[in-house]
Amino acid sequence: MRYDVTITPLPTMALFDLKGRAEALRDWAGAALPPFPDRPNSACGDGQGILMWLGPEHWILRADLDREQALEATLRPAEAPPDLSIVRVSDTLAFFRITGPEADAILAIACPLDLHPTRFGPDGASFTRAFGVSALVAQYTEGFDLAVARSYAPMLTRALAEAAG
Amino acid sequence: MLLIPCPFCGPRDESEFICGGPVRPPRPDPAQTSDADWTDWLIQAPNPVGPVQEHWWHARGCGVWLTLWRDTRSHEIVAGASDDG
Repeated sequence: MRYDVTITPLPTMALFDLKGRAEALRDWAGAALPPFPDRPNSACGDGQGILMWLGPEHWILRADLDREQALEATLRPAEAPPDLSIVRVSDTLAFFRITGPEADAILAIACPLDLHPTRFGPDGASFTRAFGVSALVAQYTEGFDLAVARSYAPMLTRALAEAAG
Repeated sequence: MLLIPCPFCGPRDESEFICGGPVRPPRPDPAQTSDADWTDWLIQAPNPVGPVQEHWWHARGCGVWLTLWRDTRSHEIVAGASDDG
């Protein structure tokens, strides 16, 4: 069966792994961070970046790669107080964008997430499992973004192509 | 397949989790207990026919450790005496 989807590898993005209390992160980073999401496993963006709430006191900030240096200068990972962890992880994840009317069918093959809008809404973002490996899934306006550790990118490329038919 | 209630993510598929084994009774003071009881505590994991309290790690999710009660006869998650682990 062939699904009506388009699978596009995305270019490297600026990613920062943030751990700590939201108030402490907000105090440290100031206006560099988008508003914090108000629900677990959701994302909030301000046009410059997207902040995904992926675990207790765990967020990932995602932005275009050309903002990486400016974000690093503002977030100052090496100088962060001991109750915060700020790590640049831009090189660790490979993103794929899955769009099209049957994008959710491909996600249903790839991962065990409940993709019903009541469980995984238009701002949904979560760690899960995709084709057997840990993955990050985020809603996109016309589909989903799926990210895995960069070393699994060739495997995921093949698996997505096979799933799409 | 279990649908495990993660306190952060809500119900999630078992394949996102790693089982951390049964919740053991509190560690006895080896100086105050018999050799037999101490050895039992060291090597005998709870393995009842019926509800058992287990640790589960949402390793491919939010990273939370949780405890739940699972009935070993039906493999269903059941209500237990306590979710503290």
